[in-house]
Amino acid sequence: MRRSRSVSCDVGGRGGWNASSLRNEALLRNAAAFASDAPLSVYVHIPFCVRKCPYCAFTSLVPASGGIIDAYLEALEGELARWTETAGRMFCAETLYIGGGTPSLLAPRQWERLIGILEEGLRFLPGAEVSVEANPESLTATSLRLWRNWRISRVSLGVQSFDEEELAWLRRPHSAARARDALSACLAAGFRTSVDLMFGLPFQTLHRWHRTLQELHRSGVRHLSLYQLSLEKGSVWGASPPSEPLPDGYAFYRFAQWYLRRKGYGQYEIASFAAPGEWCRHNLAYWRGGNVLGLGAAAWGFLEGIRYGNGNNLARYVAEVRKKGAVSVEERLEGRKRAGEAAVLALRTAGGVRFRSFARRHGPEEAARLVRCLEPFGERFLRREPGRIAFSPGGMRVANALWTEVLADDEDDASLEEGSLSGRSCRR
Amino acid sequence: METGRIRNFCIIAHVDHGKSTLADRLLELTATVDMRFLKAQHLDTLELERERGITIKLVPVRMRYRDREGDEYILNLIDTPGHVDFSYEVSRSLAACEGALLVVDAAQGVEAQTVANAYLAVEQDLELLPVVNKIDLASAQPERALKELEDVIGIDTEGALLVSAKSGVGIAEVLDAVVRRVPAPEGDPEAPLQALIFDSVYDNYRGVICYVRVVNGSIRSGQQITFMANGISDQVEEVGFFTPSMRASEELGPGEVGYVIANVKTLHEARVGDTITDARRPAAKPLPGYKRVKPVVFCGFYPVEREEYPQLRDALEKLQLNDSAIDFTPETSAALGFGFRCGFLGLLHMDIAKERLQREFNVDLVATTPNVGYHVVLTSGEILEAHRPSDFPDLGKIEEIREPYIKLSMFLPTDYVGKVMQLCQDKRGVYGSMEYITPERVRLVYELPLAEFILDFHDKLKSVSRGYASLDYEHVGFRQGNLVKVDVLLNDEPVDAFSFICHQDAAYHRGQAVVRKLKELIPRQLFEVPIQAAVGKKVIVRQNIKPLRKDVLSKCYGGDITRKRKLLEKQKEGKKKMKQIGRVSIPQEAFLAFLKVSEDAEE
Repeated sequence: MRRSRSVSCDVGGRGGWNASSLRNEALLRNAAAFASDAPLSVYVHIPFCVRKCPYCAFTSLVPASGGIIDAYLEALEGELARWTETAGRMFCAETLYIGGGTPSLLAPRQWERLIGILEEGLRFLPGAEVSVEANPESLTATSLRLWRNWRISRVSLGVQSFDEEELAWLRRPHSAARARDALSACLAAGFRTSVDLMFGLPFQTLHRWHRTLQELHRSGVRHLSLYQLSLEKGSVWGASPPSEPLPDGYAFYRFAQWYLRRKGYGQYEIASFAAPGEWCRHNLAYWRGGNVLGLGAAAWGFLEGIRYGNGNNLARYVAEVRKKGAVSVEERLEGRKRAGEAAVLALRTAGGVRFRSFARRHGPEEAARLVRCLEPFGERFLRREPGRIAFSPGGMRVANALWTEVLADDEDDASLEEGSLSGRSCRR
Repeated sequence: METGRIRNFCIIAHVDHGKSTLADRLLELTATVDMRFLKAQHLDTLELERERGITIKLVPVRMRYRDREGDEYILNLIDTPGHVDFSYEVSRSLAACEGALLVVDAAQGVEAQTVANAYLAVEQDLELLPVVNKIDLASAQPERALKELEDVIGIDTEGALLVSAKSGVGIAEVLDAVVRRVPAPEGDPEAPLQALIFDSVYDNYRGVICYVRVVNGSIRSGQQITFMANGISDQVEEVGFFTPSMRASEELGPGEVGYVIANVKTLHEARVGDTITDARRPAAKPLPGYKRVKPVVFCGFYPVEREEYPQLRDALEKLQLNDSAIDFTPETSAALGFGFRCGFLGLLHMDIAKERLQREFNVDLVATTPNVGYHVVLTSGEILEAHRPSDFPDLGKIEEIREPYIKLSMFLPTDYVGKVMQLCQDKRGVYGSMEYITPERVRLVYELPLAEFILDFHDKLKSVSRGYASLDYEHVGFRQGNLVKVDVLLNDEPVDAFSFICHQDAAYHRGQAVVRKLKELIPRQLFEVPIQAAVGKKVIVRQNIKPLRKDVLSKCYGGDITRKRKLLEKQKEGKKKMKQIGRVSIPQEAFLAFLKVSEDAEE
């Protein structure tokens, strides 16, 4: 049972976490204390990869030596200890997600170290969902065994494609064969397995896409995450895009929505498809505004409405985290902005926004305003159920445009009286 | 100076036939030169003017000339604007003269403006002195040029002057001919004052400066004068002449040309063509020929940024200080907000105004497609002047629509006759006449609706004739036309900014062009948007903008949340800046692109 608190603080700004911002420190301390009062989600970032994929904008690097990883794990332990101290008690994880980078890159003894840190530093709810991200080229039987023997119950495998050409173009560090082997190994080891796939690749055909989905379905995988290739700022391709033209992702996405539903996968979020019971509870916490403790360089957390981000400079993280912590950015939204963000996140999920809890958290006016903004879009884009509003599969496809409508209406009600020349009104 | 020793003349020529160079030479030879002051300060050196062939107007310069016998004369050179848009001004400048040097390029021969201006000069009873210029060119054919002058214009070329203004050949002979052949002005120094205002300019320091030709009586500083068109009286501050810098003098007598400064604040008070008379002893009648110019081409000027409306208004007011022919009134458009409906003497006039507003006054503006003014005869018998599509009443109330026509004179090589005639035909032209000036050149006359002409006729003409055709036109009144108003609807709502008037036969084709263009420019919405062109209730064209199919951010975990939210906020800000036509959001750029006054707006 989570207690919901409204910590009354001012609008959070950006800013360093340093000794002089005593007020911020107090706020975060407060938040941590409250958050640790109940089970929450924990995220651990392992920013190491064997090679940087050109489309990836996440924080990760190729470690020059194993020593760097060891130092990093030491620092992680320090960060967790600091948080525990700040909160005044140990955090209790109901979900834990070890992401990256490529966590499976860690050597078995490094895994043992990490497991030790987490086991010592956290409490775990019975039945807690613990996931780890893995890449086919670094998945080993040893790791699988280590994970099984600990609490890890989910593996999210970065496959992206089963087509050799596509994998080569994406510069993935593994072959399709290896990916298949890795997949079988995960399933055989009894993990709840999720596979990441990409669409919108050049020369990708609908047929090939179908065969991939079909193969995955037949393999027994019960969770899929589908992402359209996009050229993100901060990635290699973001800076110098590939010369091949990228297709419109619409057809692939729409087909997947249709096909996977027939095969028994529920689309429970814009990019996530799961057989019944297989949804990822950790990710759901992000979209439902649950508390998240983020650990590691570049990790993000969300405690009692304060979102914070750790600095992404690895060397600095390792050097300073024990003394100063790692938080480099924080923000706290209030009122309408906060409600807007919460609505946008909730609408990513098939469950959408539940009015009662939304109204409780953000006030009944916000809930009413949300309905007013979305209602005109009708059945084509929305699913209305008693007490709830969500996007239909069609709505998910144009979610950006719909979210813009929700966010656009942040004038005071007074300005809605102006003529159509100047004001924008959500009322239609 | 006694009137017998005064000569008032001007130089008329087609663009680039050498008017300015010749004028420069005359000024040099009479030692009137002070090159710095040659250009009138109120006209800027706009690229546009040069492109379109207007040379910068000179102030009316007084030259002193001593002929071979040693007699001294005063030669007043009055400059004229070269373009048909300003033909009224041309006619008033001519009215200040007794003679004109009719200049023809020895290689090009007689061109459209040569003829147009020559006719105006003949209408004013000016003595025409033919001058063939550019005889230094290898391709010069002076004999042929002279023959054209005789055949096409019908003037006597006996004693024509052959010159090369560039190299200075024949210039002294020109001055001599002016003295000998241009009649001296006549006028009674004792009669009540009658002075023609043949031009006026606004000076930041001195207010309005009127360029005058005194016909009868005299004018001096301190005198109380009346502007006869509007009855306003003022005291003269200063009179004088140009050398070319301003030189004050005691008085200007009959036959003299110079300037008058009289505490006039706006050009509306001192109008071109008006007569100045003495307030205490006024003339019985004004000099003939004054008329109020009426604008013929209209368009809307809107500020790109709404907040710049006051700047646009101020800029238009300043522009008007210097150009009494510009007309503007405020208007609103649901799509574009607050702006102005502006009237101009022609397309060039409009282009210059727009250019000046943007360059000199730094106003970022969008101009709607230009249109002409129509006379709408209602079933009640009343006649309505409609300057823009929304002025038109419902179809049911309209008995007849009349549109302005022009008579177009084109000079072109025979090779292009077919194409040019086809062009005129396409533009609803009515064939007038065709004559061979020489075996290789033709003069073609057509009558054309002005509305068709302003739709890039000039550019098309240049294009089909590879630049060899020249044209001039005059307004010949209003004629009935089978015209309709085409409305454009977006999502079933009419958008006034896009509607237009056209001939009913062209409605479908032009409706198609407009709809197609809009389809390109309007971004996809969450719903299908029909774009329609309609005449009255009847939809003649319809196309749909397909709805948005996919617009979503795939990943959104921990660290993505803030970043993605900021992206959405940016998208939201962008949306706020869009114009809403009903439920359809249209970015500003789409309007600007559509309404830009550009050649490719019409096929």
